[in-house]
Amino acid sequence: MSGKSLSSNNIGGIGGLYHWLFQDTMEGLRRRRALLGYLFLLPTLLGIFIFTAGPIFVSFGLSLYRWNIFKPPDFIALDNFERLLADRRVIVGLGNTLKFTVLAVASQVSLGLILALAVHRINRIWLRYYFRTAYFLPLLMSGASVAVFMGYIFHKEFGPLNYYLTLLGLPQIPWLTNSDLVMISIAIISAWRNLGFTFLIFLGGLANLSQEVLDAADVDGAQGLRRLWSVVIPLLSPQILFATVTGVIGALQVFDEPYIMTRGGPGNASRTLVMVMYEHAFKDIEFGYGSAIAIVVFLMILAMSAVQMWLWRNRVFYQ
Amino acid sequence: MASNATRMPGDISAAEHRRQILSHQLGRWVPLFILAVMSVVILAPIMWTISTSLRSGVDSFTVPPKWLPTDLAVENYAKVFETVPFARQILNSAIITWGTVLGQLITAALAGYAFARLEFKGRDLLFWVVLATMMIPIQATVIPVFILIRNLGLYDTYWSLILPATPTAFGAFLLRQYYLTIPIELEESALIDGANQWQLFRQVYLPLVKPGLAVLAILSFNFHWNEFFRPLIFLQHENYPITIGIFQLQGYMMTGSISVVLAGVVVSLVPVIIIFLFGQRYLIEGIMRGAIKG
Amino acid sequence: MSAEKKMSRRDLLKMAAAGGTGLVMSGLPVRVIAQDMVTIKVQTAGLDDNTLQPVADIQMARNPNVNVEWVVLTGIDHEEVAAKILALVAAGESIDVGYAATEACQLFAGQGLAAPLDDRITSDPDQDFWTDFFSDVHPSLTEAMMYEGSLYEPPRDFNAANMYFNTNVLAENGFEVPGEEWTKDDFLEIARGTTKKDDSGNTEVFGYAWTNRLWGSWMPWIFVAGGNLYTEERAPGGSWVWDGYYEGDMAADGRGGGFRWREPVANSAEVVEALQLVVDLWQEGVTPDIAMGTGQTLTGFYSTGLLCMTPAGGFWAGRLGNEGMAKGDFDVQYWPNWRNQKHQFGTGGHWLSTTSTAPDEAWDFMKIEVSHEGFQSSIFFNPVIITTPSRRSYSQADAFESTGPANSDVFYGTLDDHPSTSPIPAPPWSNPMTTIFTTYTGFAMSGEMGPQQALDEMQAELESLTNRQPQYYGDD
Repeated sequence: MSGKSLSSNNIGGIGGLYHWLFQDTMEGLRRRRALLGYLFLLPTLLGIFIFTAGPIFVSFGLSLYRWNIFKPPDFIALDNFERLLADRRVIVGLGNTLKFTVLAVASQVSLGLILALAVHRINRIWLRYYFRTAYFLPLLMSGASVAVFMGYIFHKEFGPLNYYLTLLGLPQIPWLTNSDLVMISIAIISAWRNLGFTFLIFLGGLANLSQEVLDAADVDGAQGLRRLWSVVIPLLSPQILFATVTGVIGALQVFDEPYIMTRGGPGNASRTLVMVMYEHAFKDIEFGYGSAIAIVVFLMILAMSAVQMWLWRNRVFYQ
Repeated sequence: MASNATRMPGDISAAEHRRQILSHQLGRWVPLFILAVMSVVILAPIMWTISTSLRSGVDSFTVPPKWLPTDLAVENYAKVFETVPFARQILNSAIITWGTVLGQLITAALAGYAFARLEFKGRDLLFWVVLATMMIPIQATVIPVFILIRNLGLYDTYWSLILPATPTAFGAFLLRQYYLTIPIELEESALIDGANQWQLFRQVYLPLVKPGLAVLAILSFNFHWNEFFRPLIFLQHENYPITIGIFQLQGYMMTGSISVVLAGVVVSLVPVIIIFLFGQRYLIEGIMRGAIKG
Repeated sequence: MSAEKKMSRRDLLKMAAAGGTGLVMSGLPVRVIAQDMVTIKVQTAGLDDNTLQPVADIQMARNPNVNVEWVVLTGIDHEEVAAKILALVAAGESIDVGYAATEACQLFAGQGLAAPLDDRITSDPDQDFWTDFFSDVHPSLTEAMMYEGSLYEPPRDFNAANMYFNTNVLAENGFEVPGEEWTKDDFLEIARGTTKKDDSGNTEVFGYAWTNRLWGSWMPWIFVAGGNLYTEERAPGGSWVWDGYYEGDMAADGRGGGFRWREPVANSAEVVEALQLVVDLWQEGVTPDIAMGTGQTLTGFYSTGLLCMTPAGGFWAGRLGNEGMAKGDFDVQYWPNWRNQKHQFGTGGHWLSTTSTAPDEAWDFMKIEVSHEGFQSSIFFNPVIITTPSRRSYSQADAFESTGPANSDVFYGTLDDHPSTSPIPAPPWSNPMTTIFTTYTGFAMSGEMGPQQALDEMQAELESLTNRQPQYYGDD
C-alpha cells in the first residue's frame, strides 16, 4: 500500500502519520528508526514486565497474605516476616547457603585460576586440548545428574571415594550424613562441576594479556611465583571479579544438588534458603510465607548484584 | 641448596645454572603433574558412572570399585526407557530447550539491535531497566509466575517453561555487544545503496552477529537443557525433561537400581556432548567473552 | 466449604486480571474427545502407569464410553507425592481420582479436595458388593481412611512395619528367624551379633538399618515403646460402617469416625527412649548413617547381603525378588515386643475428587479397583505382591508362594492378631509434620543433638505448626 494514496483518500490521521514517518528526510529516517527501536524492544520489554518485573512486585504483595490457594487469602500484614525471623529453618538455611557460597566460590575460583595458569604454559596443542576438554566436561552435565552419581560416589559405606581413602588408612568419612561435613561435600561436588567455567574465564583472560607481561612473569621458581602474584593476578582481576560475582549469585540460588542428595539433611544441615522456600511454597502450598522467603532470596542477590555493578561501574561492564 | 656450602668464586654461575635448570624442570613438571592429577579427579567420577552403568545391579555396589565394565549389561539402558518415559522426556527436553533458545535468539537479536544501533527516547533508561532485571532471581518470582501460568492454563505444558524464559536481558546485552563491534561505515554504505531499515537489520547486521547468536544459543542450550528447579514446579511426569527423569529413576521409595540410574545419566549426556562437539568454539568463546566484555 | 471454594476461584480470576497481563494465548493444546465419551483422570503414584491398566481395561470394557487417563506423579515418599497432587490442584488441573496413603488421606479430606464416600456406599444398590468388601478388609484399615466420621477411601493396600531378615546373614552368625513373641532384647542380640566390622572398625555388614521417613523408620520403636508423635483419639461417628457392614466383627468394636491427632507428644519419655535405642545402635556401628535422598539404598544393601534386619512390609516381598533375591533368602517376623507389640501401618487407596466432572464414572473406577476382579488383575498384586492387599483373601500364603517370605502370614496377622495395631500419625497437616519429623530424626542420627534435645525441639516445632492450623477436628 502506498502512503500517498491513503492520504489523498483523505483518511487523514493515518495518512498523515504515514507521511510523517516516511517522509524522505533525515527527520523521517530518525522517526522510522525510533519506531523500529520500540518495536524491536517490545517482545523483550513485555516479556520482562510480565514474567520478571511484574511478578517481583506481586511477590511483595503475596508476602503479606496467608494463602494456600484452596481457601481465600488472609491479609496478615508483616506476620510472615515476623514468623520468618523466628523460623529456625530459614535462619539455618540462610547460614548454609552462605557457607556453601563461600566454600564453593572460593574453591572454584582458586582452582580454576591455578589450572588456567598451568594450562596456559603448555605448548603442546593436543595436551592443552585434552586438559581443556577434561576440565570443561562436567559443566555440560546438569547439576541434577551430577548430584545423582556423586551421591553414590560419596556414599559412606560403599562409595568408591571412601574406598580409596580407607586404602590410605583414613576412616570412612560420612560425607553426606554428617552435619559438619555435608555442606562442604556439596560445595566440593558443585565446584567439581563449575570448575570448567572459571577455568575457561581465566584462560580467556590470559590469552588476552600481552606476551611481554607473561614472559616477564614466566621466570621460574620463587621469583616467578612472586611475579605471578604481583603482575599477572592483578591483570586478571576483572576475570577474577567476574568469576567471583557470577559464582556467588549462582551459589546463593543453590537447590538442585542438596535437594537431590540429602533433601536438606541430616537435620537441617544442608537445607538451603531456596529449598526452604520451595518446601513452603510447593510442598505445603503456603504461597504467602513462601513469597516472604523469596523476598529474602531476592534481597540477598540484589545486594550482591549491587556490589557487582558498583565494582564494574566504568570498567568492563558498560563498554 | 647444597651448593651453598661449597660455593667458590667462578663456580657461582655453574651452580646458578644448575639451580636454574632444576627450577626450570620443576616449573615444567610440577604444573603438568597438578594438571594430570586434576584431570583424573575430574574424569574419574564420569568413568565410574559409565562403567557402573554397564554392570549388573548386584555388582553395582561392590568394593573395591570396578573400573572396567566387565559385564556389559546393556539391558540397564533398555530398563531406563522402561522405568520412566525416557524417550518422551528426551523429546520434552529437546522441545523445551530449543523452543527457549529460539525465542531468546529472536527477542535478543531484536532488542540488542535496538539498544546498540537505534536512537530513540528513553533508550538508555530502558537499557538500564532491562539490565537491572538480571538481578531478579527466578526463585523470587516463581510463585507469582506459577499463579500466572495457572491462570493462563499453561501448567504442565512446554509453554510454562518456554514463555517466561524467552525474554532475556542477558541475551539482549550480549548481542548489543556484538552489534556495537560492527563498523558504522557498513551501515552508511548500505543506506546509500537504498536499503530500508528492515533490510539494514536483516541483511547487513544480522549476518554479522551470527557468532554472537551462536554464543547465546549454546549458552542458553546448556543452561536450559540442564534445568531442574522450574520443571520440578511447572511440569509433571509425562512432560518432565530428562534432568527430572534421571531423578525419577532413583525410584519411588528409592527402589531404583543404581546401574539403571547411572545408565540414565549417561544417556542424558549424549545430546549435550554432541552439541559440545559441534559448538564448543562458541561455548568457550561465550564464556570467555562474558568475562572480558562483561 | 463450596462457597469458600467459589470465592477462592473468583479471587484467582481477579488476581489474574489485576496481573494486567491480558495475555491471551492462542493455540493452547486442547484435547479433542468424542462427544459422548467421558474421560476420567486417575492419579497414580509410582513410576509405572501400567500397574492399574488392567483395572481401567475392565471399566472401559464394561462401559465403552469411558476413557481412563493416567496422571502419574512420583516422589521419594508419600508426602512428596501428596505435595505434587496439591501443586497440581493448586495449578488448576483437575483430577477425578487421586491416590493417597494414610500419610495424606486426612490432608486431602481436610482441604475439601476429597469427597466423603458414605452416601455413595450406603445408597449403592449393590449392597452385596460392600458387605463382601468390608468382610474381607480389616476394620483398622477402613478406620485409617476415615476423617471426622466419613470414609474417604476404600483401602486398597496396606503395609505394616514388620522385621525383615536376610536369612543368609542370620545363618552365618548362628541365628535363626525368631518366633512371634520375640522381644527388643532378642532384637538387640541379633542386631549386634550379625554386625561385622573390619580391623579398623568400619562396619562391613550391618545388623540393622532403616530409612528416614514417617512410616517404618524408627516409628515402629515409638509404638512398641508405648509412645506416639501425637495424641491419638477417635472422632465420633462412623457407625454407618461399623454397624452397617462390620456388625458382629469383634475387631470393629470401639472404633470411631477416624483418628484425631490433636496434640503433639513427641518428647514423651517413651519416644525419647525409642530414639535413644536407634541412636545407640548407630553409634555402635550396628546401623549405617541414616540419610534421605540417594544416601539410602536399603534394597541394594539388603539384597547384596550387607544388611541383616530392616523394617518393611509386604511391599518388599516381590521387590526383593526383582532385585534378585531368591525365595528363602529372606524372611519376616512381627515387630519385637517392648512394652507392647503395637504395630504401625499405613494404608493406600484412591479418593474421589470434589471437583470431578464425572464423579459417577470415577466412583465406578474406584469400586472396580477394590473388587475381586480388580485385585485379581492389578499388577500391584499380580504376578507377585508389590504391596500388601487390603483384602484378606488376597494376602494369604499362596499369594507369596513364588517369592516368599515363609512367614508371610505375619502381614495380615499384624492386623488380625495384634488388635492394638494402628496407623502412623497423619493429621491434615501431615506434610509439614513429616518434614519436621525427618529433620529432627536427622539431627539425632547425625549426633548433632542428643535424643532428648532433638525431641524437645521437634515438640516445640510441632506445637507451633499445630497452633498455626485452622481447626480441622471437631470439638467432640
